[in-house]
Amino acid sequence: MTRLATQRARHRPQSRKKQPANNKIRGSKLPRFRLLLVWCVLLAGILGLIWNLYQLQIRQGPMLLEKARQQQMVYLRPFIPRRPIIDRAGSVLALDQPVYTLYAHPKLFKESKETMAERLAAILNRSSAELLKQFRARDSGIKVALALPEEIAEQISNLHANGLELIQHYSRLYPQQSLAADVVGYVDVNRRGQAGIEYSQEKLLERPEQTIKLSKTGIGALMPDHAPPGFLQSDGLQLQLTLDSGLQRIAQSSLDQQLQKFGAKRGSVVVMDVRDGSILTMVSEPSYDPNEYYKSDLKLFQNWALSELYEPGSTFKPLNVAIALEAGVIKPNSQFEDSGQIKVGGWTIRNAEGEHHGLLDISQILQYSSNVGMVQVMQKMQPADYYNWLKRLGLGQSVATDLPFVAKSHLPDRKQFITYPIQPATAAFGQGISLTPLQLVQLHGALANGGKIMMPHIVRGLVDSKGNLAWQPSLPAAQQVFSLKTTQTVVEMMEKVVEVGTGTPAQIPGYRIAGKTGTAQEANSHGGGYSSAQIVSFIGIIPVESPRYVVLAVVDEPIGNVFGATVAAPIVKSVMEALVTVEGIPPSQPVAESTPKPTP
Amino acid sequence: MLQMSLLSLRWKDLIAPWQEVDWLLFALSAGVMVFGGIMIHSAELSQGLNNGWQQWLFGCLGLALALLIARYRYENLIQWHWIIYGMTNISLVAVMVMGIHAKGAQRWISIAGFNFQPSEFAKLGIIVTLAALLEPQTASQLSTVLRALAVTALLWILVFLQPDLGTSLVFGAITLRMLYWGNANPGWLLLLISPVVAAVLFNTYLPAWFGWAGAMSLIAFGTLPWRRVGAIVALAVNLVVGELGQIFWKLLKPYQKDRLILFLDPDKDPLGSGYHLIQSRIAIGAGGLWGQGLGHGTQTQLNFIPEQHTDFIFSAVGEELGFVGCSAVLYVFWLICLRLIVIAQNAKDNFGSLLAVGVLSMLVFQVIINIGMTVGLAPVTGIPLPWISYGRSALLTNFIAIGIVESVANYRQRLKF
Repeated sequence: MTRLATQRARHRPQSRKKQPANNKIRGSKLPRFRLLLVWCVLLAGILGLIWNLYQLQIRQGPMLLEKARQQQMVYLRPFIPRRPIIDRAGSVLALDQPVYTLYAHPKLFKESKETMAERLAAILNRSSAELLKQFRARDSGIKVALALPEEIAEQISNLHANGLELIQHYSRLYPQQSLAADVVGYVDVNRRGQAGIEYSQEKLLERPEQTIKLSKTGIGALMPDHAPPGFLQSDGLQLQLTLDSGLQRIAQSSLDQQLQKFGAKRGSVVVMDVRDGSILTMVSEPSYDPNEYYKSDLKLFQNWALSELYEPGSTFKPLNVAIALEAGVIKPNSQFEDSGQIKVGGWTIRNAEGEHHGLLDISQILQYSSNVGMVQVMQKMQPADYYNWLKRLGLGQSVATDLPFVAKSHLPDRKQFITYPIQPATAAFGQGISLTPLQLVQLHGALANGGKIMMPHIVRGLVDSKGNLAWQPSLPAAQQVFSLKTTQTVVEMMEKVVEVGTGTPAQIPGYRIAGKTGTAQEANSHGGGYSSAQIVSFIGIIPVESPRYVVLAVVDEPIGNVFGATVAAPIVKSVMEALVTVEGIPPSQPVAESTPKPTP
Repeated sequence: MLQMSLLSLRWKDLIAPWQEVDWLLFALSAGVMVFGGIMIHSAELSQGLNNGWQQWLFGCLGLALALLIARYRYENLIQWHWIIYGMTNISLVAVMVMGIHAKGAQRWISIAGFNFQPSEFAKLGIIVTLAALLEPQTASQLSTVLRALAVTALLWILVFLQPDLGTSLVFGAITLRMLYWGNANPGWLLLLISPVVAAVLFNTYLPAWFGWAGAMSLIAFGTLPWRRVGAIVALAVNLVVGELGQIFWKLLKPYQKDRLILFLDPDKDPLGSGYHLIQSRIAIGAGGLWGQGLGHGTQTQLNFIPEQHTDFIFSAVGEELGFVGCSAVLYVFWLICLRLIVIAQNAKDNFGSLLAVGVLSMLVFQVIINIGMTVGLAPVTGIPLPWISYGRSALLTNFIAIGIVESVANYRQRLKF
């Protein structure tokens, strides 16, 4: 073609314009025109560019600047972990830790689905066939695994494989599992506390949120140039509880043991330091694992020790004795005739086993847990006075504490209480009134500490990493309800209960322990009357010479011939044994040798 | 007295070899090179790299080379032009055989630790070759045009196979402009590019394609020596190429198509091929009138534009120096072009004139396409901005080109004895 064209061109040169004679292009008219054209093209090109730059930089400049700012600035709300919860020894009860969700996008895989499935299966410890099935189901956005711990996530990211995506988020971990679940509670998927301390102390647990402005680079890296100094450091404070995990564990296991042995429905153990109201142990069984709270029955989330009422029965008798002593209607050596039964307002009240004890002093009434004797003691008081005393102790109200969902205790209507003698009579042996186990501990705490009602609490405060207290809750002032003399008298009477009365199973050689058993019929949940089910309990105070701890064990619906002494007292005993070791309480003088003298 | 005249004589002797050179052209190109180093420095500031020094080092080397070349007679190149042509071809073949792979193409060969980009030097090769071919017999004869096209076609194919679309486009621009300057009939040049236009029109607006084919047929009738055959062939080619273009287009891989047409609508693929264009436009626009200041352009400093120090350096200029800075850069390029045109016009022979025009068209095309690319007017084809984009081979090429043109200026008058 080319050759042909040149040949033809050669054949007919005359048809073309005459060549300029000289060898120089410039000079003739045509090149000048060409120069102009070259010049115009150049000028048009440059002007065109300038016009476009004008459009871009002057006309659209502000808009594009805004666009640039938008893609360069990131408003970050960094994830700020909830504060950890630790027990009084510093053991972690709850803590935020990063976990990863693994997504797979098979369409981005560089290798075959089979290879990827095999490689992942080895890390995830799952069958490759199962993974392969997942990969084949969809080509993007497959949720392969949830809540992977950091080390697994690292192994996956070390594969450097395309099409795998790890999304980090934080998850609340409860390393002690169900141990302190009723106290600590749990957080839901939205990281809101739903029970226990997680719920009631949300404000202390959440660190203040902050928004940070950061520059983002083209590849998505964040530059700290606009960030406030130190924004990545959180305060490092931890929420410390007064709870003792070791003691909690012992209480839990001995409670579980008894629950199993007697086929009981549920049980609770509470240990309180009577000097300040701090709770060392609070167990409600059965419990749940807060790490997998969603697998549990909703009912288990309630902390039975404070959210449900029960009739305390005989464990309330020492409080009645203290009321009567404080009111001055009886003396410790006052005597009452227990004939086995007593008629009150048309009802006959009997002792638990129907036995009769004859003439009893106050201490003996408690030792034998004589209902007939207690009725007579409380009959010495005007029902109105008795009622006022019960009110003063906090019955009919809920216990102020730092745990949530506390039930309000039940006291009969004032008018009925005064009008119908049966009401003060049943209240005398702890029936017809109901309270939470926690409140009973609080009231016995007042007997143990010389008459002061303390606020039972479980939050010690916020501590820094070195264990220094950064914040402490302010507790309401203790309310003095009994005199020291009265409480000492009652505690000594309760010591007799353990020494020679119904509470002997709680004895620990060498230690002076006061206590009281309780076996109460359960009020029918559907309307009046009592069911055949029983609720047994034992409350103990240790050491008698200088009381420091109240220990309560309550067991609901044990099966068989059961009493507080057989079911609950052994629990209290094992908890107290641990307590004296943990707290280093020295043994008192041998209890068996002589009658105890009142401690100064 | 004698001594003084001796001194002045010596001074004259010293600069005598460059007596007639265009010092402004040297100064402007050196200035743009220094400016380029500053911009590269700024674009790489946040990455902790500094290729600006390299740019300056090779810039100075290039400038020295240009001065050296300007001292010698450019006419000597005529004797060497086949050797230059051969070496250019050999280097382009070499890059295909032993080239270094980068970004999907083979463009570099490594000699003694230095990476050379033969396609840059090939631009000079094609300029010298065309100038030498058109020197004895201007392009007013169709045979000369076809001969020139046949010779350059080989270079063009070699570059296209690398594949280096950008450089092959530069070759096309140089060839067209030099043929035009060499007195080729504009109609022939129009016919030369008509199939491309026809292919585009076929895919956009059919009636225009018919019209175009008809017009081309008429031009062929009016300008070619064999009117009827020419007219029919032109018509046929323009009609057939539409369909051929369609087939060719279907052969392209999706990403190749994207690269070619995405500049028309970069938002179609904002995270893929369109990303570069969108980010570059945003950067230039964000510069506003006065720019955000050297080293303070946020798009630049936060590395939103990949490979900004090479082909997209103008986006850094736009963002950090604004409309004013951009206009200044364009003005300087305009001045350089003006000097080149003056030299082309005043050259003593066709060879010199063609050399100057070849260099001119190489620079103009690269400047306009590169800046057009950064503002979103042209496809991303990998054409560097002369003296400003980082690239040592390109820098040396541009300075050697300036040296050759300066030689044309230097020896525009016959030596007086």
